[in-house]
Amino acid sequence: MSVAEWFSERLPVRGSDLRELTNEPVPNHLRRWWYALGGTPAYLFVVQIVTGILLAFYYQPSAETAYESVRYITEQAHFGWYVRSVHKWGATLMVAAVILHQMRVYFTGAYRKPREINWMVGMCMLVCTLLIGFTGYALVYEQLSYWGATVAANIADTVPIAGPWIKQFLLAGDTYNARTLSRFFVLHAAVMPALMILLIIIHIAIIRLQGVTEFHFEDEKSGEPDHFNFFPDHLMTEIIMGLILMVLLSVLATVLPATMGPVADPLNTPEVIKPEWFLYVTFRWLKLFSITTAVLSMGFIVFTFFLWPFIDAWVRRRWPKSEFSVYVGILGVLAIIGLTVWEGAVAH
Amino acid sequence: MASSEASGRRRSLLAGGLLLAMWAALVASYGTFASYAVRFLFPARRRDPSWTYVLDAKSLPVGQALQYITPDGAKITLARQGSGQAAEDFVALSSVCPHLGCQVSWEGQNNRFFCPCHNGVFAPDGTGVSGPPGDAGQSLPKYSVKIQNGLVYLDVPQADGLAQVELRQIDESERIVGPGHDPCLMADLDRDQDRRFS
Ligand code: HEM
Ligand code: FES
Repeated sequence: MSVAEWFSERLPVRGSDLRELTNEPVPNHLRRWWYALGGTPAYLFVVQIVTGILLAFYYQPSAETAYESVRYITEQAHFGWYVRSVHKWGATLMVAAVILHQMRVYFTGAYRKPREINWMVGMCMLVCTLLIGFTGYALVYEQLSYWGATVAANIADTVPIAGPWIKQFLLAGDTYNARTLSRFFVLHAAVMPALMILLIIIHIAIIRLQGVTEFHFEDEKSGEPDHFNFFPDHLMTEIIMGLILMVLLSVLATVLPATMGPVADPLNTPEVIKPEWFLYVTFRWLKLFSITTAVLSMGFIVFTFFLWPFIDAWVRRRWPKSEFSVYVGILGVLAIIGLTVWEGAVAH
Repeated sequence: MASSEASGRRRSLLAGGLLLAMWAALVASYGTFASYAVRFLFPARRRDPSWTYVLDAKSLPVGQALQYITPDGAKITLARQGSGQAAEDFVALSSVCPHLGCQVSWEGQNNRFFCPCHNGVFAPDGTGVSGPPGDAGQSLPKYSVKIQNGLVYLDVPQADGLAQVELRQIDESERIVGPGHDPCLMADLDRDQDRRFS
């Protein structure tokens, strides 16, 4: 009995079934990088899981040991600097990739009926990514990790009704204490990634059920097939993108490796507290308004964005010709860039 | 005929009831489990009085303060404001800003507590004066002080299951000047010390 027969007796799957399963026809416009951006965060997520698991072999999540263990990873462990720097840059690129992918979906109107649900799944993934980034930053236990977590928990505290619970949940108490860091670690390395995997599965399942929105461009010759195969053609595109990302990550990790800030000092608030760059928008917003106004308006904006497919549909039913969503989108992008640059440029 | 119809209805009613009971039991049992899980995530606290010894009252001169950190991370400034041996001569204030949790420090020259994060200012008794805490009417939380046989005790939250179980004094060597600080008295003290060392 051949090995193939041995397996096929036990696992009744045929090669043709597999081919059918993987061979989603992909519309031609996905040959353009702007439309193939969705694969980037997925690829980077895998990079984060691999490097994250490696880091977890040496990382020790407690206030006494965290900083020293990250220092060990950075300065002594073989290729520790590389693994840590790739993880750090991977996080940065992942946030950027998610935002770019979302912009593509937004400006091409790909969130419209029947894809509203997948837009909302996508919003959850954006929030999830930001939260993973935030909790990861807290793990290093540098000054900014400690004070960033403290300030964030206290901002959460101002949310009406649920606020105090969120703060207690995050810090395992009223203030940052000896139980806090293990919590951040579990959230960062287990709970949120598991949630993320679940969301990615749902996201991709919905895409396969609906197919991606089809776009056509003037320069496409008519008569040519307007789809190509996922396997191997599109997979090749993704592999090439993966290789380019790997090179990019390695270059960034080598030229601008992750460093160590001063160790957390619970008795000394640094003069300047800054979160990671992708939270600059939120941070600047908080400084512009009184805390409750800022938190509530922020929640309102995120919620509006979450429900955008429905709001957009309503607007288009009333004013079928309006370019409303495009203007809102441009305004949003400008606001995000403006607030980020502003926060990045000033100390307070 | 009619009776079998009625019994049939009775039977389907019974089946419906059982189904409902099954769902109720499922929701109740998994709900109980979920509520335990949620409760588990919020740390347990002992709420019996937990007077913790801090220091000999005599060892802290008027106008000086010491900083402590409790096992569960609360930061406390203990200052002596009067020369007596009563609890009222001491004040124990949280040094965590009630605004967004930054570390508050005592500024002797300005006779105030100051928070660097958003320029929060507090009076020597912890009342918010200006900046966000002042605007929102927030004060530095107070801890109860007790004196027994000349020893100072603080009522602080206990935290079981942690490596650090005691109140820890921060920076033993460095005594900071605290609220109630009296420049003349300090001068006396300095002179005393000068005399002692010369
Ligand atoms: C979307 C996925 C992820 C993102 C965006 C992300 C992001 C981050 C960030 C920003 C840091 C701080 C980096 C630094 O300053 O050094 C970090 C640290 C860390 N992450 Fe992740 N992470 C992800 C997934 C994971 C996973 C899946 C694991 C483990 C199973 C993990 C384990 C760790 C560990 C142990 C650290 C602390 C060590 C260090 O800071 O170098 N991460 N992460
Ligand atoms: S945290 Fe103290 S004034 Fe804002």
